[in-house]
Amino acid sequence: MHPWPKPPGGPHYSVCHFCDTLHDATALPEGKAARCKCCGAVLYQNRPASLARANAFSISALILMVVVHSFPFLVMDAAGIRTSLNLASAAKALIHEGSPMLGIALAFFTIVTPLVLAGGLVYVCAPLLIGKKAPGAMIVAKWMNKTEPWNMIEVFLLGVLVSLLKLSKVADVHFGIGFWAFGALMLCMAAAVAGIDRDELWDRLEVAKR
Amino acid sequence: MSELFPKAATYGLAGCHTCGKVSPVALGHCPRCGSHLHLRKSNSIQRTVALMIAAATLYIPANLLPIMTVVELGDVTENTIVGGMITFWKSGAYPIAIVIFTASILIPLLKIVALTWLCLAATGKLHPSPSMLGRVYWFTELMGRWSMVDIFVVGILVALVQLGNYMTITPGPGALAFAGVVVITMFAAMSFEPRLLWDRLAMLDDTPSPSNPSDL
Repeated sequence: MHPWPKPPGGPHYSVCHFCDTLHDATALPEGKAARCKCCGAVLYQNRPASLARANAFSISALILMVVVHSFPFLVMDAAGIRTSLNLASAAKALIHEGSPMLGIALAFFTIVTPLVLAGGLVYVCAPLLIGKKAPGAMIVAKWMNKTEPWNMIEVFLLGVLVSLLKLSKVADVHFGIGFWAFGALMLCMAAAVAGIDRDELWDRLEVAKR
Repeated sequence: MSELFPKAATYGLAGCHTCGKVSPVALGHCPRCGSHLHLRKSNSIQRTVALMIAAATLYIPANLLPIMTVVELGDVTENTIVGGMITFWKSGAYPIAIVIFTASILIPLLKIVALTWLCLAATGKLHPSPSMLGRVYWFTELMGRWSMVDIFVVGILVALVQLGNYMTITPGPGALAFAGVVVITMFAAMSFEPRLLWDRLAMLDDTPSPSNPSDL
C-alpha cells in the first residue's frame, strides 16, 4: 500500500468525468484503479512507481527523439537516385510542395506534441522526486493536458508502413535506424503518459507547493 | 437513483477539467490550477452540432478532390482516397486496403453518425442504454486520430518521391480538406458533454427530482 500524499484539508472528492457521480477519493494500493460505481469509468489509478517510471520513460523518449531526428526513417532507391526520409523532411516537403498548412499540422502532430509531452513530464516530475515544484510547473502540466489528444506518433508509424507497401512496387525501399527508434519512441511515450495518473500528478504538485 | 449515485452538480460541486480537483462551482476558477470551473461544458450540443455540420460538408471535397498528384514520365494521375484503397484491393493487398478503408472512410463516417446519435440522446430524442452510450462515446474519443494516417502517407510520399522527370508526387487539395475533417471531428468529440446523457437519464428515472442539475 503506497498511496500518494494528499493535499492538506479535505474531505477529498472525485467526480466521474463521464456521468458526474460524486465519490470519496479514498487512497488506493499501488497498481489498483478506482472505478465509478455508477457507470464503471476509471476515476483515478495508483500507478506503481509512478514518478520514477514517468521520469525514466520520458527521458528515454527525449533521447530517442534525438536519434529519430538524426537518422532516416525510410531509404528509397529508384531510377538511380537514393532518397531518404526523416521526420522533419516529410513536413518540409509538404510546405515546399504547395501545402504549407498540412506541413505545419504534420510537424505539430508528430514533432511538437511529443516534445511538449515528454519534455513537460520530465520538467514537472523530476523535481517532484525530491518533493519540489519546478517554477511554472502547473502551467506546463496544463499544456501537457491540452496537447495530449493531439499526439499522433503511432498513427505516423502506421503511415510509414502503408507508404512502404505503396512504394515497394515501384522502388527498393528499406527501413532506416530512424524507423526502429521511432517504434521505441512510440512505446516510451505511451508508457510515460500512462506512467502517472493525472490526479496523482496534480495532488503531488499541490503538496509540493505548500 | 439519485441517493445511490449522488451527482456532483446537485451539491454545486464541479470536477476541474484540467486537474480533476472537486471544488464548489461558485468559486468560478479552480483553486488549484486556475482553469475555469463549470458544471457542464457551455453550449455543448450547439458546438458539437455546428462542428459536425462543418466536418460533414468538408467530407465531400475530401473524397472528391485528389489527395495527391503523381507525375510519372509525364503521365499525370490524380489519386483520391477511395482510388488509393481500390488500387490496394485490386493488387491483392487486402489487409492494407482494409486498414485504409477503416481509417479514412469508416471512422470519419462512424464518428459523424455516433456524435449525431449522442446529441439526439442528450436532447432526449432517443433513449438508448447507458452502457451503449459509454461505448459509443469512448469510440468517438479514441478512434478519431487514426484517420490522420492517409495525410501522413501523403506527406511521406511527397518527401520521398522527388525523382525529377522520372516520378514526382505533390499533395492535392483533397488532403487539406480531409485533414480538416479529422481535426474538426476531434474538436466536435471534445466539445461534447457526456454528463448531459446522464442528466437526461436521471430526469427520465425519477420525475420528482429534488433539483435538476441542468438548471443550475
